[in-house]
Amino acid sequence: MSSATEFPSTIALVGNPNAGKTTLFNALTGSNQHVGNYSGVTVEVKSGETFTPHGRKLRVLDLPGCYSLRANSPDEKVALDALHGLLPGESIPDLIVCVVDASNLERHLQLTLQVIELGLPCVLALNMVDVAEGAGLRLDPAKLSEELGIPVVPMQANAKRGIVELKQALRFPRPVASEATWLADAADPESGRRAFITRLCELAARRPNAHQQTLSDKIDSILLHPICGWISMAVIFFTVFWAIFSFAQIPMGWIGSGKDLLADWVGNQMSEGDLRSLLVDGVIGGVGSVVTFIPQIVLLFLFIGLLESSGYMARAAYLMDGVMARAGLSGKSFLPLFSSFACAIPGVMATRTIDSAKDRLVTIFIAPWMSCSARLPVYFLIVPLLLHDKEGTWKQALVLFSIYALGTLTAFVVARILRSRLGEDITPGHFLLELPPYRMPQWSYIFRHVLDRALSFVKKAGTVILGLSILLWALSTYPKKPGSDKADALAYSAMGRIGSVIEPVVKPLGFDGKMGTAILTSFAAREIFVSSMAILYRVEESDNEEQTRNVLRDRLINAKWPDGRPIFTTLSLISLLLFFMYAMQCLATTAVVTRESGSWKWAAGQFVFMSGFAYALSLIVFQTGRLLGF
Amino acid sequence: MPHANAADLKIDSAMTLNQVKVGCDVQIRILSGPGCDRLRDMGFCEELQLRKLTSGRNMICSICGTRLAISKELAEQVLVSPVK
Repeated sequence: MSSATEFPSTIALVGNPNAGKTTLFNALTGSNQHVGNYSGVTVEVKSGETFTPHGRKLRVLDLPGCYSLRANSPDEKVALDALHGLLPGESIPDLIVCVVDASNLERHLQLTLQVIELGLPCVLALNMVDVAEGAGLRLDPAKLSEELGIPVVPMQANAKRGIVELKQALRFPRPVASEATWLADAADPESGRRAFITRLCELAARRPNAHQQTLSDKIDSILLHPICGWISMAVIFFTVFWAIFSFAQIPMGWIGSGKDLLADWVGNQMSEGDLRSLLVDGVIGGVGSVVTFIPQIVLLFLFIGLLESSGYMARAAYLMDGVMARAGLSGKSFLPLFSSFACAIPGVMATRTIDSAKDRLVTIFIAPWMSCSARLPVYFLIVPLLLHDKEGTWKQALVLFSIYALGTLTAFVVARILRSRLGEDITPGHFLLELPPYRMPQWSYIFRHVLDRALSFVKKAGTVILGLSILLWALSTYPKKPGSDKADALAYSAMGRIGSVIEPVVKPLGFDGKMGTAILTSFAAREIFVSSMAILYRVEESDNEEQTRNVLRDRLINAKWPDGRPIFTTLSLISLLLFFMYAMQCLATTAVVTRESGSWKWAAGQFVFMSGFAYALSLIVFQTGRLLGF
Repeated sequence: MPHANAADLKIDSAMTLNQVKVGCDVQIRILSGPGCDRLRDMGFCEELQLRKLTSGRNMICSICGTRLAISKELAEQVLVSPVK
């Protein structure tokens, strides 16, 4: 009992994907953490704290889902390392909680037996007993416990049933490690385990003989149908895009007017001077124009959460396997790539579930070409300008859809070329995927996840973007030229000078020095482009009566080259769109790629290739367009 | 790990998962090939019964109430026999 007074004991949650580990982790710790009904949502070891019924603190580790302890994928390697105490800063866990799906014991117990074989003390959390009973299984937890030699706790983690009983099992004195009796007479561990599980399931989890047609089977007969399946998928994903781009307009309008009101109020409270200019133009203008895009980001994460949590994402991966094969990848690359439409960072991290190392590297390489949500502010600025539209229309949705499609298509072509150059794997990893049953989305977790994302975006807006906004404001204000008008003052400022230096580089793409400067600042993070442009173009126009989100667009329309030609022609806007579609402009992604690919060369190669490709394509399109007389 | 040879089975009853008709219930007899370990981890274990739900490039099977999508290449490594 002496260890009771020392630092908290560590409990590790182990189990197959979809066994409900993360749901149990949340129920135990109350932590904000993502739950997805698709293999491989937990890609890192999360930790939290919980208390036994006696009030003793316990550290809980949520390990990535794995099917065995053979360490086939990087995910399983992490889980195995955690159990052996090889993770940096972690020792061997004091107790393992094996989370199994009670309706699927034949499959899930394989891992439990392997954990018991490691000689670690273990508790079996028999999760989803409601599902098992619904399927007609007759469970006998007492018999299971007797045969396995470990405590067995029947529970339903999503309804928080059985949590107290589980905590009772985690208190002192802890269960001791059980003996792996099945290995005693077996020819090899594999057949020993199998025979034991077959006997155990006969005894303690009898299954009705007839194969039942479940609701999931009926839904699948439509959603995985060779024709209806594709139509449903197209409808689902087009609806997602359409909803993001139309529903978001309303709250965006509110945020825009709120920003205007705040800017007016601050402007009226203060006297004319540098400080007022800093607050109104630099801080409120710069940060505000980025914050306006929160509704879209929230909606995108909401839909991805819904698709994952309901179980549809695995079906999409199944359907997409044939398409991905054309890019030389497998259906497993679909989830990382689709997540990259929200943000390349979770996308790149989700590639850990891909077994083939080469597939994984290629997926990481092309992930940033899926148009992420940080590009949305830029697209929302440029697309209406391109179509000469004021508000979100179906035409804009179509153009945006095409942008997404074109980016994806290019990524697939590059993936195919790259994949074939890397060569075949030593052991070909063919497609094998679990299709989880359809479930009602767990709203509370989805909302928590969305809130988490939105807050992290706000945090970014409050730190990086705020800092850069102030820096940009200072660069475009100082050094001051006394007695000159605003346009001259800007040309005289540090920003104007940087712009004129880099103008020769970006002019062949159809951009002026200011756009060049804004692009330069957006290499830290793409969304900064909008606030940079807002700050850079503030002097071009004195009319502030327009709707906030239209002000910048109006200014851009009126922006002219020194010889009077408009800067933002259709051709230069297309060139700008192409540049943003393809350039690698996100420091955070580059950092994550370095970590995940285990090589800074891969990240550097990706940066140079993507940005070079973007520059070359914009150059070719703009120059060809000009030659053709556009 | 030593594997039994396919020849050990009665030839008339053994077939690969690819040869099974959609909707049929079969019992897994032997796994043979490089994908064995992965198949076992995912639930394709000897003795278990499965029902083939769809065919095609990747087929869907139901094992113990779980649907698993499996490629043709892997299905070739799963030898099954009709349920007795």
